Amino acid sequence: MSVYSLYIFDRHTECIYTKRWTDRHALPAIRSTAGGALSNGSSSTANDIPAATRRAMKHSDDAKLIFGTIFSLRRMVRQLGGTDDQFLSYRTGEYKLHYFETPTQLKLIMLTDLHVGNMRTVLYQIWATLYVEYVVKSPLAPTEHASGVGVANELFEGGLERFIVSTM
Amino acid sequence: MSVTTQHTTPTELMVYRVVFALLIINKAGGLIYTRTFAPGLQKLDSNDYLILAGTFHGIHAISRSINPAPPVPPAPGNRRPPTTGIESMESSHFRLTCFQSPTGVKFLLFTSPEQPNTDVIVRRCYEVYGDFVMKNPFYSLEMPVRVEKFDRALGAYLARP
Repeated sequence: MSVYSLYIFDRHTECIYTKRWTDRHALPAIRSTAGGALSNGSSSTANDIPAATRRAMKHSDDAKLIFGTIFSLRRMVRQLGGTDDQFLSYRTGEYKLHYFETPTQLKLIMLTDLHVGNMRTVLYQIWATLYVEYVVKSPLAPTEHASGVGVANELFEGGLERFIVSTM
Repeated sequence: MSVTTQHTTPTELMVYRVVFALLIINKAGGLIYTRTFAPGLQKLDSNDYLILAGTFHGIHAISRSINPAPPVPPAPGNRRPPTTGIESMESSHFRLTCFQSPTGVKFLLFTSPEQPNTDVIVRRCYEVYGDFVMKNPFYSLEMPVRVEKFDRALGAYLARP
């Protein structure tokens, strides 16, 4: 039972917070060999970029892809189930994605392994007891967290870490 | 669900277990079969179903690339098993079970969230597809499925009398 990552998106579709609990060390190696197999031109340019930068790029791409997935699934669910239907979670053979949206269209997304049940209450707790208390009520945080300003403060980070450890 | 089982009779419980619809998407993302078995989902026109099939095809591919799980070392002598895309999706009104055949055909089964064994049902649909569509000499691959026997076999299996 493990949690892989947590993403928070604001109502302007911007990723304002990302937290990962596992780092994919094997991934850059796999990608570079795949690039080399496809074409020589792309592999030489891919090797110029340092591995750390590439990993960071991959992470920001991941956030965009996750938002795109959520956005499409949410629309699909509304189309099929009616306007009051809500998208809850999906599962693949390797991981599970949990989704929670607040009335202010703040979106909390958590990726876990397959051995966890419903994490909706956990996401609600993160929003109600951590995000609202430490980010929204913080006098230093701006009302709109453009590019994540004011979200990743010490209290929120620490509280989140403790909360995840206690739920696992 | 376990709480309500104590107070409802088996027939009342059966009311919640519904298969709403089945969609079949070919390996290029085109919709080749759609059929509704029970009311419960919103009525969509055929164009919307085509868009939905294409969208899901894309999401399915993306969900494979955002896999955060650490890669498991494959058994010696074997290749790493391919990552699967979305296998099941839940919303508050329905559950979508997706089964992808080794050739890339996707079976999308829309059921109520209470319906058990959806993966067995969707595999059975795949079997019926194999028996009545793929073995039909007049069916051309990747084209919309218009096979009467397939319709009848699916109806016998999934439609509630």
